[in-house]
Amino acid sequence: MADNRRTRGNIMKSPGFAGCLDHAKIVICCGSGGVGKTTISSAIGLQGALSGRKTIILTIDPAKRLADALGLASFSTDIQQVPTDSMLAAGGPVSPARLDVLMLDAKNTFDSLIRKYATEDMVQRILVNRYYQYLSNNMAGSHEYMAMEKLHEIYHQGDYDLIVLDTPPSRRALDFLDAPQRILNLLGHEFFRKWFKPYLNAGRWGVRFLNMFASPFLVMMAKLIGKQALTDFAGFLQLWNDVLFDGFSRRAEAVKQLLAGKQTCFLAVATPQRLPMAEAVFLFERIMKNRMAFGGFVINRVHGPDLVLQKKYHPRDMAAACGGIIPSDFLPRLETGYENYRTLVQNDLKSLEGLRKEVGDNAKIVPLLFSEKEISGLADLYALSRQLN
Amino acid sequence: MDTDRHWLAHLLGRRLVFVMGKGGVGKTTVSIALAMAAARAAKRVLLVEVGDCDAVGRIFDEQELPGSPRRLFDNIWGARVNPRAELEAYIHTHVAPAFIARRITRSRLFDYLLDAAPGLKEIMSLGRIWRWVVGKDDPLKQRFDLVIVDAPATGHALSLLRLPRQLIAMIRFGPLVAQMKEVLGMLENHEQTCLVLVTLPEELPVNETIEFYPVAANTLNMPVAATFINMVFPAPFNPEEISCIRAMLEETMGSPHDPCRILLETARRDIDQRTVQNIYMDQIRSHAEAGGHMVEIPFCYTNDLSLNDIRRIATSWPTTGGPGAIS
Repeated sequence: MADNRRTRGNIMKSPGFAGCLDHAKIVICCGSGGVGKTTISSAIGLQGALSGRKTIILTIDPAKRLADALGLASFSTDIQQVPTDSMLAAGGPVSPARLDVLMLDAKNTFDSLIRKYATEDMVQRILVNRYYQYLSNNMAGSHEYMAMEKLHEIYHQGDYDLIVLDTPPSRRALDFLDAPQRILNLLGHEFFRKWFKPYLNAGRWGVRFLNMFASPFLVMMAKLIGKQALTDFAGFLQLWNDVLFDGFSRRAEAVKQLLAGKQTCFLAVATPQRLPMAEAVFLFERIMKNRMAFGGFVINRVHGPDLVLQKKYHPRDMAAACGGIIPSDFLPRLETGYENYRTLVQNDLKSLEGLRKEVGDNAKIVPLLFSEKEISGLADLYALSRQLN
Repeated sequence: MDTDRHWLAHLLGRRLVFVMGKGGVGKTTVSIALAMAAARAAKRVLLVEVGDCDAVGRIFDEQELPGSPRRLFDNIWGARVNPRAELEAYIHTHVAPAFIARRITRSRLFDYLLDAAPGLKEIMSLGRIWRWVVGKDDPLKQRFDLVIVDAPATGHALSLLRLPRQLIAMIRFGPLVAQMKEVLGMLENHEQTCLVLVTLPEELPVNETIEFYPVAANTLNMPVAATFINMVFPAPFNPEEISCIRAMLEETMGSPHDPCRILLETARRDIDQRTVQNIYMDQIRSHAEAGGHMVEIPFCYTNDLSLNDIRRIATSWPTTGGPGAIS
């Protein structure tokens, strides 16, 4: 299935998985929801700090347990530092670098952007605009945009050697790649400004006279959704146009360059189930197509072949071998359990083989073994991060 | 308790069910299983998919569900809401000279509008679902008994269901508002419409589900008829037997390749995993009043759930006992 596009991407040049993690300044973990992106981001962040690089983990996931594991009370929208002594206890070197964690918040990020680009008197007008309020929270892509924005900000402040970004669980996990451009396109488009011109002047002439100047399209829209809503929207567009457009445009361009740059490394995270795997492959193809640096696949929760793949251990034979040692009424149930576990191991192996076949030999695939225990401390995260090498 | 035994009949007696939950917990599985249970009770069911995801279609070996109901099998139909097509149709019915309507829907502005206008996609989706429920523009003039919506992940689903109230408050007049009032009436009719939550016995999905209960009751004013706890590991051993297994593991000092050791080790993994799951199942069960009937779905040993796997789930549920029920 491997076509030219894939082999032409950056994958040939990328120095393998460990290399990507060692040299990248930005590591972006993508993948569908529920596959363990936040945990893996944390493990990568921990590994970065332990190797002496000052690291920050940006997450969207308010997982209490993971915050506990990092020794934090909870994730917060302010930067928090992971206590060094717990990193030492987990088996780190004598002087690990600082490890920070920041939880992203869409509304906050948008608001601070507005504060950055708008003049003092405009800020309030924007923040109370109903359309803005809706947009900053609900618009498709606003969370993705916010993640990119924050990434850019922190990268250019230059405080960290490594930034690990745990991406939002969008339905299409790569929406965030387009987010900056999409928001820009939407709001900066000349169509909008042209069509909404009468509404942009509404403040001056009053909503009442609008229809005289508006196109049939807008008259219809006003009929459908109401003049006030349109006026709010137009008000926002005008503010956007006058105050924010240039700043945001420059920002979107810069974010795009940052994502495509050598300092950034993408990881596709999945579990062996069909849908997350398909999503990861889709991701891989997009990243290759965009000529971005792909670090590899991290396949989480793989049932390891540690105990079971030897053919001689057929469940029935095993149970037979244990007669007299294990109570006989346990044996059928143990046999079923073993059989089921073997199925899991074989299924996961098949999934990994399928992935290998689909993406070719050059892509790095790192399986992380399933653990029946939850991550409950830095030591667990550390153990996980060792598997990444 | 009576309602306990008849939870499924209660659920399937509604006209509209939204299946909600975090991404990856098994919303599609539960939606299809519910549709199968309804079909078993001789109901004509429509499975609706919202958003970009095409999970239902993939399970039925089709690329994508079509924009208007197509029979999948038995009495189960499937469709996917396409907000763009809905908006096009909407403009064509509301804009008088057809050529103007055409100009609008063909302009590039139209796509931008669909993306940028707050809530427009959601309004169109809800309007579509509502028309399917009430049986408007049904070519067969045959209303569906039950519409099951495989909703997008919680955040998106929440903004979808909150929209009618927000919109009515924001705009107040006009044809869209009139339609949203009807939609709201349908959503908040507790006899006709309910939510079903799907979760996993893990930290984040359980927390999200527990946090969602008050939102359902207070913000949405919609009842949660059932909570499905998916992928529950088997628990074949009782506490005494578990201690016995642990004790034997400590005694069995043989090589790691010893068959007894491997059998016991495998059992220990299952036991440990189920122990963790129990913590979260207890948490969610302590909210039984808010979460409706609690249904455990056993773990399936596959990476690629098939229709047969889902059918097995559906047939493990009690028959509804309603007219036409086949046991």
